[in-house]
Amino acid sequence: MATLQIEKLTKTFPPHSKDGRPVRAIQDISFAMSGQVFVSLVGPSGCGKSTLLNIVSGVDSPSTGTVTVTQDGKKARLGYVFQDSRLLPWRTVMQNMLYVSDLPEEEGRANASKYLEMVGLGHAHDMYPGQLSGGMQQRVGIARAFSVSPDLLLMDEPFSHLDAITARSLREELQVMWNATKKTVLFVTHDVMEAVQLSNRIITLAHGGTVFDDTTIELPFPRKASDPEFAAQQAEILGRFETMELERTAAKG
Amino acid sequence: MGWAAFFGIWAFVSAVILDEFTLPGPLKVWNEILEIVRGGSWADDFLISISKTFMGFMIALIVGVPVGYMMGRAGYWKAFFHDGVVGAGSIPGIVYAIIALVIFGIGFQGPILAVGLISMPFIALNVAEGLEGVDRDLLSMSTAFGRSDRQALRHILIPSIMPFAFAGVRLSFAIAWKVEALTEVFGSSNGVGFQIRFAFQGFSIAGVLAWTLMFIALLLLIERGLAIVERWLFRWRTWEQAA
Repeated sequence: MATLQIEKLTKTFPPHSKDGRPVRAIQDISFAMSGQVFVSLVGPSGCGKSTLLNIVSGVDSPSTGTVTVTQDGKKARLGYVFQDSRLLPWRTVMQNMLYVSDLPEEEGRANASKYLEMVGLGHAHDMYPGQLSGGMQQRVGIARAFSVSPDLLLMDEPFSHLDAITARSLREELQVMWNATKKTVLFVTHDVMEAVQLSNRIITLAHGGTVFDDTTIELPFPRKASDPEFAAQQAEILGRFETMELERTAAKG
Repeated sequence: MGWAAFFGIWAFVSAVILDEFTLPGPLKVWNEILEIVRGGSWADDFLISISKTFMGFMIALIVGVPVGYMMGRAGYWKAFFHDGVVGAGSIPGIVYAIIALVIFGIGFQGPILAVGLISMPFIALNVAEGLEGVDRDLLSMSTAFGRSDRQALRHILIPSIMPFAFAGVRLSFAIAWKVEALTEVFGSSNGVGFQIRFAFQGFSIAGVLAWTLMFIALLLLIERGLAIVERWLFRWRTWEQAA
């Protein structure tokens, strides 16, 4: 399992216009995670959650600070599930799976089939993304990320574009897949309920891109929102959220 | 029905308004076509014209694709090429035919150059447009999964450009054919355009029309063929558009 080490990470984007100011998305964030953990990053919109994931994945680079993702001292392999599926529309489901695979063709096909079966799309190998519903496309996105056997799996609000019923069903499937594989997962969401349902640990980011809170969740899996302990945990986190918002309002004066 | 109306009007104009010498009727032209086909050498003329169009097109692709690629990837190159390419695309085909004639005289190179010059701007502009429309999210997905630039080029950039490039090819192909035939009329010793001029010089309007109709028939056939290839190549778009 992978180790993610983030130290004094800051990300500033250049101003949108000549007269504008640089936009600071993340400010001096440090945390580490390692082993069979499912860590959720929660926080309000614009607090730098997705930017952080993009930096961890190498899609973006930090302004200052360091991010290291290692697996037994070597560079770790990453998987990524995005907000939208980001499938190549001109490739079939199987071809999309093979695009990210480093395995020989036959082995890659067998591996992809295994993960497509896990998300209930064993029949969709030869279909194009345009033939699938949004939920099915996101299932392929999840299967694709798991299929590369990632040491660290990054998930950026993967269910935020889906309807509530599909999102719930996919959350349950993700929980099953995570229990089966125990990957190291960094999961971004703005939904506290989702974070409590899936995570061992919840890191809350505040406006301005700083770490506000870091909580361990010790409820047993599978977790149901109807359990009183689940509700209590969710209320506790939401309470901290409210405190954060109150402090922000007070600071603004 | 469209064709029936066309031939009906043609026959009427030929028989009633004009005369058989100025505008031969469809039947006379049809007999002329049969005569040309029986003669046997028509296939060589078409093959020569097709070859010249194809070679001109290759030149257009070799120049147009890199120019379009540069325009689509960098603002500097877009500004550098834009006016020249758009200007080149707006020049009438006859000007290219004359330029080709001036440079090469009567020979096979003239039509090739004319086709290359007329087609290149359409291909460059469409490739540039395709590249500008590449989904950046797909490129970041590719980076996140550790794919190389070469893999991204093959699986993301080229497939993104292809529908635009193909549209450019179809559009410029129809224009290229006309310019190719026109250049042959002025300065060539073989090909369909040459045969049209030859028939005209022999006062055979039926011959001019016969060659022209055969030319149109071939053009339509190729256009239909390209449409089928396009539908097959981009079949994934059927579902994208339906979604």
